[in-house]
Amino acid sequence: MTGDEKAKEEFEPKIIGFLCNWCSYTGADLAGVSRLQYPSNIRIIKVMCSGRVNPQFVLKAFQEGADGVLVSGCHPGDCHYIEGNYHARRKLAMLSDILEFTGIEPERFQMSWVSASEGQKFAKIVTAFTEQVKELGPQKKLAGGEDE
Amino acid sequence: MVDYNAMTQEIRAKAKAMLENKEVKYIIGWERGANSFISRPVIIRDAGDTDRLVWNPGCVDNLTRYLVEEMQYKPKRGEEPDLGPVGIIVKPCDSKSIVELIKENIVPRERVKIIAVTNIGTVETNKLRKVLQKIPQDKRAGIDILQDDNEFIIKYDGGELKVPRPELLANKCETCVTHNPVIHDVVIGDKIEGFEADKWADLAELESMSPEERWKFWEDQISKCVRCYACRDSCSLCYCAECVFDKEKPFTWIDKTVDVSNNMFYHLVRAMHLAGRCVDCGECERVCPVNIPIRKLNRLLLKSAKDRYKIYPGMNPEDKPMFGSYDIADPDEVV
Repeated sequence: MTGDEKAKEEFEPKIIGFLCNWCSYTGADLAGVSRLQYPSNIRIIKVMCSGRVNPQFVLKAFQEGADGVLVSGCHPGDCHYIEGNYHARRKLAMLSDILEFTGIEPERFQMSWVSASEGQKFAKIVTAFTEQVKELGPQKKLAGGEDE
Repeated sequence: MVDYNAMTQEIRAKAKAMLENKEVKYIIGWERGANSFISRPVIIRDAGDTDRLVWNPGCVDNLTRYLVEEMQYKPKRGEEPDLGPVGIIVKPCDSKSIVELIKENIVPRERVKIIAVTNIGTVETNKLRKVLQKIPQDKRAGIDILQDDNEFIIKYDGGELKVPRPELLANKCETCVTHNPVIHDVVIGDKIEGFEADKWADLAELESMSPEERWKFWEDQISKCVRCYACRDSCSLCYCAECVFDKEKPFTWIDKTVDVSNNMFYHLVRAMHLAGRCVDCGECERVCPVNIPIRKLNRLLLKSAKDRYKIYPGMNPEDKPMFGSYDIADPDEVV
């Protein structure tokens, strides 16, 4: 194993997950009570609705050293507040465009719809996303200062 | 050839009539700069002063910022609020700002009288400095800048200099799609037709780069930023009473440190705040002391909004704001 590969092997990304209170957070909870295995790299922040996630939060997370950010809400049409996730979809799609344009890998940022009954799906998304971010390596572009 | 003199006369006549009939409290316009060929903003309160107003390709400022200040003015204790209408002279690009401000309920339509001019382009101040090198120093007083379809004509004491349009034309005018005002009470100048649709040519180069090259480009540009916030302060749509970057309670969103991380955060957040609202008036880039191509960020979002949601801000006050509305059929590819 070369040094490079070893570094990649050891790298455990920090992922911030903004989950909506009504679907995704409950979905994550279900994944927990069902004892599903998924990487512990994700740090979950509960928000009342995915529409609450200001693009600023995502950028701040990156700035504070997050390697990936996951935003998850109710499926379109299922929002507890009727339309919050539609607003989130617009905002965050634009954010992903500008991340790509400035050369920050848009793969570090993901949005997903997870309902309260989709513990399986949540575990799957987190596993896949963690793999994806691990592949990209540490995020150093927006992160300010030295890590730790 | 655009007859700037006749247009100036017409502006003065209209402004005079408005002030004499007490239709407006005052008129926001441009006057001749004291030592400069670039016109400067002026507020005319007296009908006798209207002769100070000018219109020429050096009228670069977007005056709607002053309109916002007027609308947000809080009367002092004991002072009667004066809600009378205000007159303003706008270029077509600035008229889009007014549309956006009306849409966002900052400017009530009845509180503004819009004198709009049609315009084929203004000068870029940075380019002007280079061009002026060709004119002897002692002859630079009393310069007049005129233009026709192909060139700028700089008239100075004892001669004139012809400059091809691209050498002096503002960057924003190269991609402009509104040469006629979109909202107005009075229009001055002939209707301009036959301009090309925006092809986003200025973004193409960056978009063809690899992500790493793009980051390199932006890192270089953004590391120049001194965070003077001139781009924010000159923007007619950055009107928040307390800007998020000034907020200190419950915590600060951005450090005072000037580094790539904080600067990038600032510029990305600013661009996001203007997404679907920015009308590409180009003020941010014009006032930037270190020449960061800020417009590119805004224009990328302008393009995205158009591609994704068929939204192009600043055209119709009846339109819904992009982030204030949604469509169930919006594309869902992020998931």
